[in-house]
Amino acid sequence: MPSRRRTLLKVIILGDSGVGKTSLMNQYVNKKFSNQYKATIGADFLTKEVQFEDRLFTLQIWDTAGQERFQSLGVAFYRGADCCVLVYDVNSMKSFENLNNWRDEFLIQACLLNLRLRWQASPSDPENFPFVVIGNKIDIDGGNSRVVSEKKARAWCASKGNIPYFETSAKECVNVEEAFQCIAKDALKSGEEEELYLPDTIDVGNSSQQRSTGCEC
Amino acid sequence: MKGVFSAPGDYIHFKSQVPLHKIPIGTKQWRYYDFGPKAVPPLICLPGTAGTADVYYKQIMSLSMKGYRVISVDIPRVWNHTEWIQVFEKFLDAIDVHHIHLYGTSLGGFLAQLFALHRPRRVRSLVLSNTFLETRSFSAAMPWAPIASWTPSFLLKRYVLTGIRDGPHEPFIADSVDFVVSQVETLSREDLASRLSLTTADASVGPLLLSDSAITIMDVCHLILNLFTSCAFLKDQLSERYPEARRAYLKTGGDFPFLSRPDEVNLHLQLHLRRVGVEARPDLVHNIPKDGLGGSSGKEKNGDDTDKSRKDGEGTSGNPSTEREIPHSPESTGSNNLDNQPLESEECCHLNHQVALYVFPSGLTKEKHFVPTETRVHFMWEYAVLFYLLRYISSLYIIDNYSLEFRQVM
Repeated sequence: MPSRRRTLLKVIILGDSGVGKTSLMNQYVNKKFSNQYKATIGADFLTKEVQFEDRLFTLQIWDTAGQERFQSLGVAFYRGADCCVLVYDVNSMKSFENLNNWRDEFLIQACLLNLRLRWQASPSDPENFPFVVIGNKIDIDGGNSRVVSEKKARAWCASKGNIPYFETSAKECVNVEEAFQCIAKDALKSGEEEELYLPDTIDVGNSSQQRSTGCEC
Repeated sequence: MKGVFSAPGDYIHFKSQVPLHKIPIGTKQWRYYDFGPKAVPPLICLPGTAGTADVYYKQIMSLSMKGYRVISVDIPRVWNHTEWIQVFEKFLDAIDVHHIHLYGTSLGGFLAQLFALHRPRRVRSLVLSNTFLETRSFSAAMPWAPIASWTPSFLLKRYVLTGIRDGPHEPFIADSVDFVVSQVETLSREDLASRLSLTTADASVGPLLLSDSAITIMDVCHLILNLFTSCAFLKDQLSERYPEARRAYLKTGGDFPFLSRPDEVNLHLQLHLRRVGVEARPDLVHNIPKDGLGGSSGKEKNGDDTDKSRKDGEGTSGNPSTEREIPHSPESTGSNNLDNQPLESEECCHLNHQVALYVFPSGLTKEKHFVPTETRVHFMWEYAVLFYLLRYISSLYIIDNYSLEFRQVM
């Protein structure tokens, strides 16, 4: 029977509560925006078929809870992520400063999942795992209430290994499509570099069968 | 495939905590687990051809702790789809459940859709995994289906097991395959024959009254599709039938993601239940006694879960009556490695139904199986039937050849 493979690209959106993670996802997938704020409980996801270099991919975008009290679903969805999007609000310094915490949290959790569950395709090389940073809400007050400069944000991205950076407005649909195209491209690169599972190897020295644990971090 | 299968630690813990219910309804014997707060509308899990109620043990344990009610059933011995609908409805009435959410994989997904089609008022939502809309392609692949009920169990088991892909798997996928194979071993000839009959009996699912928004299609992306999942064409059919259904794709997981990727499957099940308005009641979890988390209504009789083989229509692996005396510790998901557990010197030996069960106080159980006399007789009878069946077929072939030669002479 012929085998069929659908390429799934898994993207996780992280960031403080209220920075616009859900709005960005809804704007990209459904071309919709709502002014009404409703905290995400646990996590949720949307899928979108994307075409890139004459190939079709399914982009599975996971929107997460920014508030700790709403993080009820744990971090199971971190596993197998191909790209992680860090979102902050350009009008909130705290949300920008917390990007470090979100990045570290993701790498720790994803690696723990790998070690515990012996899964092959996650950040086995944390330094090179694809992140994308988005500074959202650039439309507010015509940019006058902005507290995080583009220069400062780009400097942080450069210090973390030249993370791609985008400034967006989910409300006005500014730069959203471009940001997600970059996310899909990075996710695809990451997905293609996934290790293939090899069957149990025999260590002749110990003459015992071993199973690969995947993540080496 | 491993030579020897040892039950995962978390499964041993599950068996010690969750009672297996057995109730006769009409002429059918139902085996099922019912776990979680009774106030919550249940998620009912229907296994595939190779599955039993036990294959969803990871979903039962995880979701019930989060305040959901999960019922996992064994598909009883029904031989056609009309009978399935009637029997399943009687079962729901017997356990006093009215509105349900169905999670079905493979054959279970097909039966879930059929029930939703014919009893739309009872089914509130569907989660479908590796399933199909019609049986035509399966009946074409199984021309011998009409004699399935006469086929010896070892042949049926071999047929079912060849549908499960073997080969170089990730460790957790290999563990899930091992577990399902161990469950297939507990199924009787009648169980297997009836399931294969349901898979091949001509039927298709018409348009459902259920809205697409109440359906989640959960699939593994890199799955090489086969008889016991469903072919690519059938998967496309399913997607076309429910275009607005939620698509929950898993990156990997093999044929049995509910065993190999339980955390992700459970997450998708939770999201589905939340989306269709099922309110979890974690506050009620504490009030539930440890030895039987929210079992079924008092109507039914709970059969003792003895270690009879399911050959007699009941039975299961393990002996919970014995297990319940042992303080089990839950182990990491899918971990089969019991080497690190300290063995205490005292061992008590318990003989039950020709099975020697060595129980270690640390929670490790080992089984030594002896083949009872009646089983040997049963096997001999099966071989005899097979022998005469083959002789009959070959004689037909010879007669056919002679008649052909006779016609040529004439």
